[in-house]
Amino acid sequence: MKTNQTWLAVIAGALVAPASYAADGGDTNSAQAAEIEALKKEVQVLEQKVDSLEKQSAPEQSSAQVQALDQKVRILERERENDRDDAAALAKAQPKISLGASGFSFGSADSNFVATLHGLVQADSRTFFGDRGLINGNDSFLLRKARPIFTGTVFHDFDFNFTPELGGNVGTVQILDAYLNYRYNPSWQLEAGKFKSPVGLEQLQPDSTTAFNERSIANNLVPNRDLGVELHGDLFGGVLSYAAGIFDGAPDYIGTTVNADSDDDKAFAGRLFIQPFKKTKIIPLQGLGFGVGGSYEDDRGGTAAGTQTGLTSGYKTDGQQTFFSYNSTVVAAGTHWRVSPQAYYYYGPLGLLGEYVVSDQSLSGGSVHPKGVVDLQNTAWEISGGWVLTGEDASYSGLTPRNPFNLHTGQWGAWQAVARYGELDVDDNAFKDGFATTGSASEAQAWSVGLNWYLNKDIRVNASFSRTTFTDYHHASTAVTKYPENVLFTRIQLSF
Amino acid sequence: MKTFLKVLLVLSLVVSANAKEVKLLNVSYDPTRELYTEYNAAFAKYWKTKSGDDVVISQSHGGSGKQAQSVIAGLEADVVTLALSYDIDAISQQAKLLPANWQSRLPNNSTPYTSTIVFLVRKGNPKGIKDWDDLVKKGVTVVVPNPKTSGGARWAYLAAYAYALETYGHDDAKAKDFVTKLYKNVPILDSGARGSTITFAQRGIGDVLLAWENEAHLALKEFGDDKFEIVTPPLSVLAEPPVAVVDKNAKRHGTTEVANEYLKYLYSDEGQEIAAKNFYRPRNQDVAAKYAANFTQLKLVTVDQEFGGWTKAQQTHFADGGVFDQIYQPQ
Repeated sequence: MKTNQTWLAVIAGALVAPASYAADGGDTNSAQAAEIEALKKEVQVLEQKVDSLEKQSAPEQSSAQVQALDQKVRILERERENDRDDAAALAKAQPKISLGASGFSFGSADSNFVATLHGLVQADSRTFFGDRGLINGNDSFLLRKARPIFTGTVFHDFDFNFTPELGGNVGTVQILDAYLNYRYNPSWQLEAGKFKSPVGLEQLQPDSTTAFNERSIANNLVPNRDLGVELHGDLFGGVLSYAAGIFDGAPDYIGTTVNADSDDDKAFAGRLFIQPFKKTKIIPLQGLGFGVGGSYEDDRGGTAAGTQTGLTSGYKTDGQQTFFSYNSTVVAAGTHWRVSPQAYYYYGPLGLLGEYVVSDQSLSGGSVHPKGVVDLQNTAWEISGGWVLTGEDASYSGLTPRNPFNLHTGQWGAWQAVARYGELDVDDNAFKDGFATTGSASEAQAWSVGLNWYLNKDIRVNASFSRTTFTDYHHASTAVTKYPENVLFTRIQLSF
Repeated sequence: MKTFLKVLLVLSLVVSANAKEVKLLNVSYDPTRELYTEYNAAFAKYWKTKSGDDVVISQSHGGSGKQAQSVIAGLEADVVTLALSYDIDAISQQAKLLPANWQSRLPNNSTPYTSTIVFLVRKGNPKGIKDWDDLVKKGVTVVVPNPKTSGGARWAYLAAYAYALETYGHDDAKAKDFVTKLYKNVPILDSGARGSTITFAQRGIGDVLLAWENEAHLALKEFGDDKFEIVTPPLSVLAEPPVAVVDKNAKRHGTTEVANEYLKYLYSDEGQEIAAKNFYRPRNQDVAAKYAANFTQLKLVTVDQEFGGWTKAQQTHFADGGVFDQIYQPQ
């Protein structure tokens, strides 16, 4: 711009100088005037050129500035983009912490190390009807289960579970589960420690998802937790599940488990379970599963009933009253095998589960032939069914309400009606040969109905009624077996 | 019960006999995505024919230095195919996942292909960039990744430094001054080569990208030669990206045999052809001759000759407090 102004000044000077000079000579006025006019025109032309030049140079400058600014903006945007990527990468490398319906969990960014805290609390009530006042102290509020559950993974492939039991009838703390599971892949896993023996279908169902407050009467004949090593896995995407292991050997179901073996005998237990339609498109049959569990042990017991004998402390009713037990002189004296064909079927809101159990054990110490060995074969079966009234899908591992309870939005969670029937038959020789305690029943039949209210995934409220009737072999019934057992259960459960 | 256990055992054997899929993880540097996508398919076919097994190869890519640190931190690579030997040395020394002599286990110091650093400029080369000294001129904007995280960036830095040493009679102070000026023209440092390509080609930043030769060709293929052109400087560095089996990981995964074969096959005629087609300079002379038109001849200096090897170069230039830290000021 300064150059253009100089140009104009020079041109203006040139115009003024000839004009002054012309004032001194009159005969040349007309020629000079013409020259001035010509110069004026030249100035005008030059001004136009200057304007034109100015118009041309300004866009070039502004274009360069725009380009420079554009680059700066692009660089800033790219830096921001890189910062976002770096932040995302950093976030991926940070430990993960989560708190939700499935518990409190924290783990490494690559998930190779994870620790999770779960919990299970069951606050129950049992009210007995019709025992005619013969039994005191069985109407009760009780803390049925109270378990902090620690699970997790270390070094990617090693899972662990440590579950103490703080609740229960006995009121003593026991280690319920404590095991390490090496997961090579879903098909090949090796578990060692204390965990559920792979025999009974209902026994293997998670404690928080059983249909009733107590497992069925058939569950009396399968083992509870045991100590040992087990190879297990799911093949063909879960169509076939298998488990086979060697264990210390557990008697027929005892609620209070031990942490060591009392003899040198070991038990083998295993289970095969098939869901043949699981991967097919036949939807109504996808939830059909059946299989067989079993165990075998050559068991030679000690001397004290219910502790070192390899024997159960007694078979219990739904109300957890003992209706059959062995005399204190009776001990395990040979093979003890079990076999349990089992099946379930789940389709939409419908759920059915059934199993049959044979527990065959050689015993000695009966009062009739104290040194003789007698083979007793006890059998039991049960079938239970449920219907989710609110339409959610039922499953072996529980159900999740579609509309969790919320009074503000008018949601009521999920409701399920359940029913069950089961029988347990003790070998008559247990009575003939003097193995059973006085007052033990030789058979028990139990039916139950109930209503389960799932407020949400974690909280459940149950109410159910059970009636158990007894067949008394010696007609020497005591308080428990003298009359049918009628019991009303309630439960409030927190499980996460 | 015995019968039951026998049935279970037989079932187990049947199931294990059918398990024939092998999985490999190749942790590589940034611009090798296309190379290994093509190579993995070829190797899987070869391995199926040879062994009857299916091999599924996963790829992981990023800045070479970052990738090495990921493996050290636990990323379970069966093989690493990184940008420079120093990064694999780090895995060997810090995590002890493979022996110190890993580089002697395969031909050519375990470098089945080579590459170099070239310039990618915008079409018509508006800034007239022909050689390294054009990069330090005022008004020229250079895009290159961060040598702290990117193998390609370290090669590019050393190429520029080598040019300065050659030009200024191996006067180290002048060479240092040269790269100082060059990095003053660098407005942004991406963490890897692919990031810098995005910065230059997609985000429209800068006048010249210092790129792996194969990455520059790939940019031409992807974005069109009507947008960019490659300028090969008269002098650059001979980049030798190495490969190695990560012994301990492979052993744990049961993949040692297939991992070794995977890397050996890079030296086969087919492996070399795939490398050449992806603009990596093949070691095989016959294949190199066949694809000679893809590669402009230039003077290539080696890190060993010019900088005394990678360990020394790393310590001098790229370690914390090294020359790069001294000369580079973020803008």
